[in-house]
Amino acid sequence: MNRRMESNLMRLLHGELPSEEARDLRARIERDPALREEYRRLRATWEGLSLPPSAPVPPGFAQRVAVRARTEQAGLSLSLAPGWVRATAAAALVIGAAVGVGVGEIWPLGETKPAAVTQQADPQTLETADAIDGSLAEGYWTAMDELNGGTSETEEALP
Amino acid sequence: MGTDLPTDPGWDALARTARGDTGAFTGLVEAHQERLLRLCERLLGDPEEARDAAQEVFLKAFRKAGEVRPLGQVYTWLYRIAMNLCLNKLRRRKLVRFLRFEADPEEPDAPAFDPPDAAPDPASALEARRRWQATRKAIAKLPDNQRAVLILARFEGLSYRQIAEVLGITEGAVESRLFRAMRRIEAIEGREDAQEKGAPRVSRTEGKR
Repeated sequence: MNRRMESNLMRLLHGELPSEEARDLRARIERDPALREEYRRLRATWEGLSLPPSAPVPPGFAQRVAVRARTEQAGLSLSLAPGWVRATAAAALVIGAAVGVGVGEIWPLGETKPAAVTQQADPQTLETADAIDGSLAEGYWTAMDELNGGTSETEEALP
Repeated sequence: MGTDLPTDPGWDALARTARGDTGAFTGLVEAHQERLLRLCERLLGDPEEARDAAQEVFLKAFRKAGEVRPLGQVYTWLYRIAMNLCLNKLRRRKLVRFLRFEADPEEPDAPAFDPPDAAPDPASALEARRRWQATRKAIAKLPDNQRAVLILARFEGLSYRQIAEVLGITEGAVESRLFRAMRRIEAIEGREDAQEKGAPRVSRTEGKR
């Protein structure tokens, strides 16, 4: 059987063949035993395909989707952001914490410990430490603000 | 089958959604949720995953409400989003299995949602269940592009033209994929029948064209 005939049998089965052509093909199927057998096989496979009824729509599905769409649009919650945004924010938090811990661990044990570090009350040392912590925290909050598409309170408070 | 109305009210709902009318969006979801959930479930084979996928489809539609050109029926556009999403999920699923060195599992014997028996007697109900299982197994073994065409044609009742529109392919490609899917299913069923009867395994290439 040629490809054209195979296509026509499939079209006949799927109700895609125009009525005139469908009538002609049916008449031909009646006359030709090989074609009849081919069509019978195809039809048995087609009609044998069966799936169970699908699960019912969960109650309130549309309302939940609408609420989520609204929340997402308003950009109110980072938890609703796409996975990669959440992952980036989480990674920034972890890296920030790790660097912070690292600075705390390494600084006092350094061989060339600055004299100022040993003097706990030295205001310059405190300023340096604050600057490090401050830049990490600021970097994190800036990143978070960018993700949320807004400006931080700190920025707004600045003149 | 296959007649596209020139004005689908769904486009108006999408336009209103883009202007901030969330009520219009809720209405759109309600109008299409049943067929979208069904399509996702048939493609993914898991009602739980289908719910997440359908929700994602509607959220994508919400985000694109202001950009889409009103052409044809809204549901074919939604179907296209659903198809892309579900096929990506299936590919990811296969990749994860590959990376974990897991074999492709057979489809589960029983669906996650156990539908009530519609058949009048236990024998018919049993036969219906046997056919569902066989169909699920056979469909699971089809390549993604053939599976998509078969599901849209056989279970969603879409015409060749509508399927071509949803998948972004020609009607000729629909025809060819559908026919190859049918041949492959015949081969799969033939193999399984032979195995059940204890006959030697039929060659894997049988039925391929």
